[in-house]
Amino acid sequence: MAQSGTRIRNEIRTLRFHHGEMTQQQLADRVGVTRQTVNAIEGGKYSPSLEVAFRIAHVFGKPLEAVFQFVAESK
Amino acid sequence: MDTSFEEKSVWIQLLSLVVGLGGYLVVAGLMLSNGVNALPAFVPVFAVAIVLIVAINVAGHVVAAISSRGDGPDERDRLIGYRAESRSSWILGVGAIGAIIALILSVSGVWVAHLLLISLFGSEAAKEVAQIVYYRRGI
Repeated sequence: MAQSGTRIRNEIRTLRFHHGEMTQQQLADRVGVTRQTVNAIEGGKYSPSLEVAFRIAHVFGKPLEAVFQFVAESK
Repeated sequence: MDTSFEEKSVWIQLLSLVVGLGGYLVVAGLMLSNGVNALPAFVPVFAVAIVLIVAINVAGHVVAAISSRGDGPDERDRLIGYRAESRSSWILGVGAIGAIIALILSVSGVWVAHLLLISLFGSEAAKEVAQIVYYRRGI
C-alpha cells in the first residue's frame, strides 16, 4: 500500500476488510480515538503512539509487525 | 469535509478571532490614525469585540456539537495542539519584548497596549492556522 507523509505503512484497511468489513468508527471506538484519527493513520497522515498501535493490533488479534511496518530509506 | 469536533472547534475559534479581534484592530487602527490616543476611548470597542468572540464561539460550538459525535480530544488532537502552539508562541514573545522596549522608550501606553494585542492576535491566529494545516495535511 503506497502511502505518503510517514514512513510507517500499515495494513489496517485490509485487516478491517478481513474482520467483516469493520468500519473506521467501530475500530475507533474499540481503540479509544476518533474516527478521523483512524482515517489519518490508515492514510499515512499520522503515526500513532505505541500504545494506540498496540491497541489496533490487539483489536485485530495480530502482532504489531503484521499491522504496522517501518519503511527504511534505501541507500 | 471530514472534520472531527476538535477540528471544527479550531475553525470556530479562528473565525471568532478574525471577526472579533481582527475587527477591533481595524477600528482601533482607524481611531489611532484619526488622533484618538486616550486608552478609555477604546474600551467600548474592545468590549464589543469580546462579546462578538464569545457569541460566535458559543453559537459555533453548539452547532458543531449537534452535527458531531461527542468525542473528546484524542492523542492526535493533543499532538496537533502542542505542535501548533510551539510554532506560534514566539509571536507573542516578540510582542511582549517589543512592548517592554516601547515602555523603556516612553512610547504612549495606547500603542504599547495595541502592540500586545496585535501580537496576541497574531500568535493565536497562527496557532489555529497551523492546527488546520496539520489536520488537513497530516502530522
